[in-house]
Amino acid sequence: MKRLFAYLVLCLLCSYPVRAQDAVSTTEQLIADIFEQYTAESEDDIDYDSFYEDLMFCAQNPINLNQATREQLEKLPFLSDNQVENILAYVYQSGSMQTIFELQLVEGIDMTDIRRMLPFVSVGDGMQNDKKIYWSDLWKYGKNELYFRLDRGIESKEGYHSLTDDELDASESNTGKYIGNELYNSLRYRFHYKDRVQFGLTAEKDAGEQFWGKAHKGYDFYSFHVQLNGFAKFKTVVAGDFRANFGQGLVLHPEFSMGKSSYVLNVTPRNSGLKKFSSTDESNFFRGGGATIRLGKFDISAFYSNKMIDGDTVNGTFSSSIKTGYHRTLSELSKMHTVNQQIAGGNVTYTNMNLQLGVTAVHTELDNALVPNKSVYNYFYFSGKRQTTAGIFYRYRLHKLNLFGETATTDNGSIATLNGCFFSPLSYISLVMLHRHYSRDYDTFYASSFSETSRINNESGLYLGVEIRPFRKWKFAAYADSYRFPWPKYGIDLPSIGKDYLVQADFAPKRDIAMYWRFKFEEKQTNLSDVGNVMPVVIPLQKTSLRYQLSYSYGNFSFKNVLEANLSRRAGEKMTYGVIALQDVSYAFKNIPLKVNLRYQFFDAVNYENRLYSYENDVLYAFSIPMYFGLGNRYYLNLQYDMNKKLSLWFKIAQTVYADDRETLSSGNETISGNRKTDMRLLLKYEF
Amino acid sequence: MKKIISVFTFIILFQFLQAQISSIIPSSEAIAQTSVADSRNWSAFNNPASLGYIENAEIGIGFENRYLLTELSTKSIQLGISSELLNTGLSFSHFGYSLYHEMMLGIGFSRNFSDKFSMGMQFNYYTAFFTASNSYHGALLPQIGLSIKLSPTFNLGFQSFNPFQTNVKTEFTVKRIPAIFSLGTEYFFSPEMVWRTQIDKEVSSSYRFACGFEYQMLQFTNIKLGAYGSDYLIPCLGCGFKTGGFLINLNCELHPLLGLNSNATIKYRFRK
Repeated sequence: MKRLFAYLVLCLLCSYPVRAQDAVSTTEQLIADIFEQYTAESEDDIDYDSFYEDLMFCAQNPINLNQATREQLEKLPFLSDNQVENILAYVYQSGSMQTIFELQLVEGIDMTDIRRMLPFVSVGDGMQNDKKIYWSDLWKYGKNELYFRLDRGIESKEGYHSLTDDELDASESNTGKYIGNELYNSLRYRFHYKDRVQFGLTAEKDAGEQFWGKAHKGYDFYSFHVQLNGFAKFKTVVAGDFRANFGQGLVLHPEFSMGKSSYVLNVTPRNSGLKKFSSTDESNFFRGGGATIRLGKFDISAFYSNKMIDGDTVNGTFSSSIKTGYHRTLSELSKMHTVNQQIAGGNVTYTNMNLQLGVTAVHTELDNALVPNKSVYNYFYFSGKRQTTAGIFYRYRLHKLNLFGETATTDNGSIATLNGCFFSPLSYISLVMLHRHYSRDYDTFYASSFSETSRINNESGLYLGVEIRPFRKWKFAAYADSYRFPWPKYGIDLPSIGKDYLVQADFAPKRDIAMYWRFKFEEKQTNLSDVGNVMPVVIPLQKTSLRYQLSYSYGNFSFKNVLEANLSRRAGEKMTYGVIALQDVSYAFKNIPLKVNLRYQFFDAVNYENRLYSYENDVLYAFSIPMYFGLGNRYYLNLQYDMNKKLSLWFKIAQTVYADDRETLSSGNETISGNRKTDMRLLLKYEF
Repeated sequence: MKKIISVFTFIILFQFLQAQISSIIPSSEAIAQTSVADSRNWSAFNNPASLGYIENAEIGIGFENRYLLTELSTKSIQLGISSELLNTGLSFSHFGYSLYHEMMLGIGFSRNFSDKFSMGMQFNYYTAFFTASNSYHGALLPQIGLSIKLSPTFNLGFQSFNPFQTNVKTEFTVKRIPAIFSLGTEYFFSPEMVWRTQIDKEVSSSYRFACGFEYQMLQFTNIKLGAYGSDYLIPCLGCGFKTGGFLINLNCELHPLLGLNSNATIKYRFRK
């Protein structure tokens, strides 16, 4: 009966596939939109490269829904754990899907989800992953890509009064000046054969870093990776630079992890195991090798990493590792690769239809002792040369309940634990509850999980999320999070509490119109800025924001309008506001392979507390969510031109003009005189 | 001399209170200056995307008097030409009197895409007479606009005047030309009744929130009611007449401190 109904639905939808494709202008744009939803509420710099590469790889090698494992579906970050479970359960109970639109019969999945999934999934008999690979196939069917990117700011900055090589030797007064030119340049080479063999090379030089001179020769950062999937008993083999993500991220998750966003149900990172690292992020990766062996229902992984990290070493100790990746001045260069870090770890995961259970352990060894400059807020931070961390994680499906969690400990006995459950009482309602407790002295190197701040320590909280699809064109999502920091944090000199709420309503009245309203309220505590206090005093800081976004497309045109306003109030002070409004227009030419994207944006947020973030279209592999405060406007032009089937070009020029009478922008070496800042980016992609 | 001093005093007060919208941009035909989403009328130096909706050639003149002082008057003339590929508009406006005046000349291009949306761009040349140097100084500034018909009854409009914040620089002074970002909506309760809202932000001034209703009472006449708020709440009242190809519009605004502001336009729409 269910199958019959499925075919009826398919008949009704027979004209839909073609039209649905129109709504998504390009896969690249779709990936950027998904990323934007995740990061809209985040203030951290998040590695877009890996996010983009993983999804683009899925687009080039679509996941076969009829043969997909949980792990494969979890590569699609916009799917909630419940949706993943429901897809797997549907295929298990009803057999292979005949068409992708059969997904409409899966509980908790609607047309919006299907549209998002379209570029990344397929249905069919599936690809046999254990098929033997021949060198001739690699040569014949392997895909090579080469990327060359160049960025440059137009206005000259204070730090770029370049020094000659003679001056470099001269004196300490020059240690603060940039020794390289204003150009940012990166070079990437990628090869992949289906999803079986991947390797690549990345080289990068940041603006201000010297490319060829006395202080430095060549690119500042090189990265190499190889990943092999499905060779004999080996599920995955990685060499060169790689990442390891296990469990809910309390022990190991150097990659971008889920947090609070408008995808309210996606709260924990995915257990993606060992995977290549191909980004230009210069710190969050391992360098060495690792492998995962599949033995029945067990996946056993082991890895080893040995790399140099940046630190301000003095007499065999350093106070913090430097993760910016900038080596532009003699001072920054002197801290480059000064500490050796060795990491060895492993994981064993058992998986069956309803249960996933795993154990992760990792040991880190440094050749210089990490000794943070002691302050109240970092009193419990890790200090020493070696650390061992271990954790156990689980995921268990019990009817409509989906339980998950992880508990980890370090060798100082501190504990971090995260536990939660998904529940879907009706097909159109999904709920998630998550409790976390990270003790104040739990401090590891590569943990990343659900948290109010970027550090996994000194925090307890309860999160509740709900997603409701009461009518066909509407979706409502909301979350509430209440947390406390039992020990002072950076910028908060006392134990503190906070809470935040988000409500988002999505409405898609037509195929080519979509809009949402997002309301967010947060209250956290902050230091009272009065300097005369003997004892620290914290006061509440409230921020309320409302955002409306409208996306509309017609033919080859697409438009986007955003209007966002916020109000912020520090106890005892006046309320302040911030506003941002923008208009986006994109056009894809019919007769020439050219895409144009224009934006005009206005912002008015005089106080830093009212700062606003707005995602920007960019050249491939670049993603920016600039922060705005002050008064002014910004506009940019983005071009993408496919010169031929092999060669494509991206170009962006953007300018910000401030109208609040400031005479200089930024500070220190980045100081620009005037009220304008202009940036240009160029990217060339060659496929062969 | 007394008159000159009083006029100057008034101008300074006027510039202070009306800093948001420059006097060189003539008020639109839409009540409470809610023209950004107006899909029925194109007003000179307002949203250039509205130019895309004109179906026949049209010519119009406008006169705006502020607070019953001839020195604070803006005169404007506009010509719109319709074609299959692009609609073209020419506009000119003049504000002031012999000792101080500003002028602006604009040429705009706009296209209506299947009546779903319209995009327009205008190039304006602004010039002002500076007594200190006894000479004219000017600058070229663009204006961009977009009007989207999200449904048969709902339109959304956006425009930016002087998006690059260009100013006129002379040997002695820098004259700021307003840089305005506008966003507005238009909703038809029925073909006779339309409701428009608009938010304007001149980058260095306060926000302006405007709302207006127009009701087509009879075939040849309509009445208009609206208000806008910036530093003060300003009520607006107007009416329009249509006879043959002629359209006549009269709008009044009552500033609580400065008094009456009146605006009249006459437009002739050619038949095909």
